[in-house]
Amino acid sequence: MDFFLQMIFSGLSVGAVYALIALGLNLTFWTTRVLNFGQGSVLMIAAMLTAVMIGSGLNMLLAILISLAVAGAVLIISEIVAIRPLLKVSGSMGWVVSTLGLGIFLQGVASLAFGTQAVAFPDVLFSSSASVQLFGAWVSMQYIAVFMISVLIVGLMELFLRYSTWGYGVRAVAHDPDLASLMGIPVRKVVLYSFMFSGLLAGVAGILVSQISGTVDPGFGLHLLILAFIAAVVGGMGSATGALIAGLALGVLEKLIAGYYSPAAAHMVAFVLLVAVLAIRPQGLLGKKEMVKV
Amino acid sequence: MNPLHLIGRVISNPWFVGVLCTVAAVAAGFVNQGTVQMWCFLIVNIMLAQSINLLTGIAGQISLGHAGFLAIGSYVAAVLLKDYGVPFPVAILITMVVSAMVGYVLAIPSGRVREFYLAMMSLAFGLIVYELVREWRDLTGGVMGMRGIPSPNLNTLEIFGWQVSMEWYFRIMLISLLVLMMMLRNFVKSHFGRAFYAIHVSEVAAGSLGISQGGTKRFAYALSGGIAGIAAGFYAYMVGYLTPESFTLMRSVEILVMSIVGGLGSLMGQVLGAALFTYLPQQLQAFNDYQFIVYGLILVFSFILLPRGIAGLLGTHTRYSKHDQLTANIPDVNAVLSRRDTGSGALVDVQGVVMEFTGLRALDDVSLKVLPGTITGLVGPNGSGKSTLINVISGIYKPTAGTVRFKGQAINGWPAHKVACLGITRTFQDPRNVPSFTVRENILMGAHRLYKHGAFAASINSPAASREEGQFLGRVDALMKEADLIRHADEAVGNLPYGIQRLAEVARALASDPELLLLDEPAAGLSESESERLGALIRLARDHGVGVILIDHHMDFLEELVDEVVAFDAGREIYRGDMEGMRADRAVVEAYLGKEEESHA
Repeated sequence: MDFFLQMIFSGLSVGAVYALIALGLNLTFWTTRVLNFGQGSVLMIAAMLTAVMIGSGLNMLLAILISLAVAGAVLIISEIVAIRPLLKVSGSMGWVVSTLGLGIFLQGVASLAFGTQAVAFPDVLFSSSASVQLFGAWVSMQYIAVFMISVLIVGLMELFLRYSTWGYGVRAVAHDPDLASLMGIPVRKVVLYSFMFSGLLAGVAGILVSQISGTVDPGFGLHLLILAFIAAVVGGMGSATGALIAGLALGVLEKLIAGYYSPAAAHMVAFVLLVAVLAIRPQGLLGKKEMVKV
Repeated sequence: MNPLHLIGRVISNPWFVGVLCTVAAVAAGFVNQGTVQMWCFLIVNIMLAQSINLLTGIAGQISLGHAGFLAIGSYVAAVLLKDYGVPFPVAILITMVVSAMVGYVLAIPSGRVREFYLAMMSLAFGLIVYELVREWRDLTGGVMGMRGIPSPNLNTLEIFGWQVSMEWYFRIMLISLLVLMMMLRNFVKSHFGRAFYAIHVSEVAAGSLGISQGGTKRFAYALSGGIAGIAAGFYAYMVGYLTPESFTLMRSVEILVMSIVGGLGSLMGQVLGAALFTYLPQQLQAFNDYQFIVYGLILVFSFILLPRGIAGLLGTHTRYSKHDQLTANIPDVNAVLSRRDTGSGALVDVQGVVMEFTGLRALDDVSLKVLPGTITGLVGPNGSGKSTLINVISGIYKPTAGTVRFKGQAINGWPAHKVACLGITRTFQDPRNVPSFTVRENILMGAHRLYKHGAFAASINSPAASREEGQFLGRVDALMKEADLIRHADEAVGNLPYGIQRLAEVARALASDPELLLLDEPAAGLSESESERLGALIRLARDHGVGVILIDHHMDFLEELVDEVVAFDAGREIYRGDMEGMRADRAVVEAYLGKEEESHA
């Protein structure tokens, strides 16, 4: 029973991080109908930098801030280098390939700079041994903190998007960029900001998830990206609430299967879930159906 | 002539290829085994590049997990031979079938979602297969790898008592590759190849020609998987030892890079891309050290710097018709269309159709009947619902209420490609051709629904397939003559003036031998003489008993053609009758010009 509860708690914790990453994906999807296939490497870069900088004695907060700034910058650069010039290539072929390429490039750079071995991630939230008893099971404080921070950020982003001027801008651009532009909304700026925020969210998620896993290596982001994408699809592409619900459910499901069976089986189940949702209900739980315009 | 294009011409010359292959086959007996193995490896890569090209380059479905197919195929082939003693050619065939089935299953969602979902799914597929082969130790040996696979490399591969040496293994692979490429070439030039490319470029236009989105994508995935399966089978026996590390994301990326750099869409380009990325890493150590960085940069910049790859530089393009292989027998244009029976009641019967979009009623209780051999004109201001009605009849929209009957059968809610297969063909308000196809290829695409020969017949150019393709090529020529398009026959449609594109689209619609023809503003932007050709095409259809619905704003153009005209305003019918009466009708005049102010009356 304790084991079961522990799996539930750790599942909720990583699930919340999936929702965070999915929100980052949704953000650029809203404004440009594009999402970054190299997002996994952004998670990795932020976590790697944080670990290395703290390891070399830099102030913890400063290290995190620098890493997040880099993550935001990477997404802006992605938009300028790997997305905008490629939108004229027919369909999504161009940007899918180029954003994946940028991610692989970053992975290569990270391997070159920091080596391919896993780096231990320092304790930035509580100590890894701190834990509390919840419903009779001992739960690491780090899990609880990661869960709280992730859910808080997702909630704040939702409020921000719903009630701030900037949020109106995002939704206007999502609805119709040409019309938004005619209404005096600085579309270009909104798009760039959405990418920057997507990067920041990925950076936070990378740091949070490394805090749980304890280590980070250059290849670590890809699985997270895929699981977050599955959460985004199951929840309904473009729906923040959907991504949160689906992310939490997916995290719990994953940890339970991994705990009782094997991690590979957990990923297999997640993959089958993705195929099934795309085949049966591509708009997901809370997404809107896409309408073909002729 | 551009020297690069000259090189392109030489290397795609069948004689050159033949001589090169013969030399390689003979030379295999004289060089060391390592070199022969390298050549075998090259062939595996060429096959993989062809596999991903068919899916990504031609059908437009991005695969980021092709190593997944390679892994599944390799282990299946290895187990079949090692544990069950299946003779190796049979094992390779079984592997092909298994891989094709995996591809088919992966593509199940493909009819309903946009490409990038499938791209992410393929990425996940590659990753999960890699994980599974690592974990499934009982079957694959896990990270320790699988040893003891019969291999020509170790002189352990036998068939019916004959021990296959590396040089003979290479020769077998070479012949297999040549057969495969020959079949691929014929396949791509058939109506299947055109359908693959059409769903890549415009799913909506493809649907209007009877090409099923989901079906075509699943077929592309299955074929691509099958070809990867052949490559995997050859690979497994060639190396004799399998380890999960050969099937990482990097391997998928490598296959994709070969295909993109070689030139997506070009069969010859794949050979060049595979050759480049088989030998370059051997020659340049930096390639291995900075693999991620190099491949990453190639992916980021290749579409901008080298959009059509090496094949584009060398000017070798794969064409999508067998025009160059077959000569067309041009029939009389009257033989292009079947003569339809005009006696049997309404061809299409629209009853009480309502079409609602969020907050907007685009069609409000519309009813319409069209008889065979008649032309019905639809007029009305922009946004009055004319195009929406055509979209409803052609299956692009599912009406909120009401029925559409075609020859008595209710078809509302049917997918567009099924509607098209009944013989309902449409054109679009903005012409939707495949821009890189020639005029001839575009019009030939119209005949898609009429083709009877299957994929295998198309791949081997069976007599029946050639006869059929020749027959349709002839009909296309007859239509091009009638539409005065023959001088543009072999030019890419995308580079031609608007009027020509329109005429080509209408000719394409006629090539489908329709029973009901839906034309959405076909005369817009046409010159005087082009309008005349268009009029002739429409009359040709009518005279063969085709029912025509014609939207247009040119009253003079309509006057000459229509039997009946229906005017719409705000989603409702406001007039029905002849042109004369419509001009005098108050409601129509008001809808077009607005109400006259009473004070001036």
